[in-house]
Amino acid sequence: MLSERELVRYDRQIMVFGVEGQEKLKSAKVAVVGVGGLGSPVAYYLAAAGIGTLLLIDEQKPELSNLNRQILHWEEDLNKNPKSESARWKLERFNSGIKIETFVGRLTVENIDDVLAGVDVVVDCLDNFETRFMLDDYVHERGIPLVHGAVEGTFGQVTTIVPGRTMRLREIFPKVREKKGKFPIIGATAGVVGSIQVMEVIKLLTGYGEPLLNRLLIIDLAHNSFDLVKLR
Amino acid sequence: MKVTIRYFARYRSLVGKSEEELEVPDGITVRELIGILKERHPALKNEVFAEDDDLADVNVSRNGRYVRFDEVLKDGDIVAIFPPVSGG
Repeated sequence: MLSERELVRYDRQIMVFGVEGQEKLKSAKVAVVGVGGLGSPVAYYLAAAGIGTLLLIDEQKPELSNLNRQILHWEEDLNKNPKSESARWKLERFNSGIKIETFVGRLTVENIDDVLAGVDVVVDCLDNFETRFMLDDYVHERGIPLVHGAVEGTFGQVTTIVPGRTMRLREIFPKVREKKGKFPIIGATAGVVGSIQVMEVIKLLTGYGEPLLNRLLIIDLAHNSFDLVKLR
Repeated sequence: MKVTIRYFARYRSLVGKSEEELEVPDGITVRELIGILKERHPALKNEVFAEDDDLADVNVSRNGRYVRFDEVLKDGDIVAIFPPVSGG
């Protein structure tokens, strides 16, 4: 049940997907894996949308060169507060009606079952495919959706994995070559891609609209193109 | 036969255009087409494709549908190539 305050707070989106939709968001637990460039807008908008429980996972501390895109981290957090804790501090003040859990550490095959227990949707905000494939394996064991997003420069891609209904991430990107070291990125690119990932989560949870199942959205903000590739 | 190539993201920047129509031998595969593109656009060869595994960083769609490298192309196909990105 939604409180009077929640009915007011979420009024404008209840106009889109109804009170039932809002209640589904409230009862959901969503994991944001990586609280950096993508994870910042993702966690921020998920908190704004009233997701009942957010689980923020990151082990790193923000550095100065992160701040062009990782907008949940501020100067006062630099080299001090782990990203998941830094994000929690702001989001708890932004929306006191939701629960925010953190895991300060690296996801491994040993701890992933414990860390992600009870999660309804996993949002991939990582910066490497090695860990992404671990998430891919996990969601297929558990039968829960994974919203994949990635960015570089002015480019991005988004697709949603639903076990049994879509291709696996491993099948879509079988031979990705990992780029070592720093990659170019404009913060707003992560803002666009992260916002689309949040729309995916909202569509998955409320049933409103059509998630990007078996569709890969390819975004090129330098040339203003959004293209959908059918994956199968 | 004629095929239309569409370049996405980094490939578009490297090639300098979003698409082009090419006359290619009948019945070639995606893999063979990419070989032709690498010859035609050295920037793709030099900056994108790995030396050890030359298709490592390419995803390809044919007429809007994701395909493997052994897919045989037909006259009039629209082939899009795009590089997966991995940052977060």
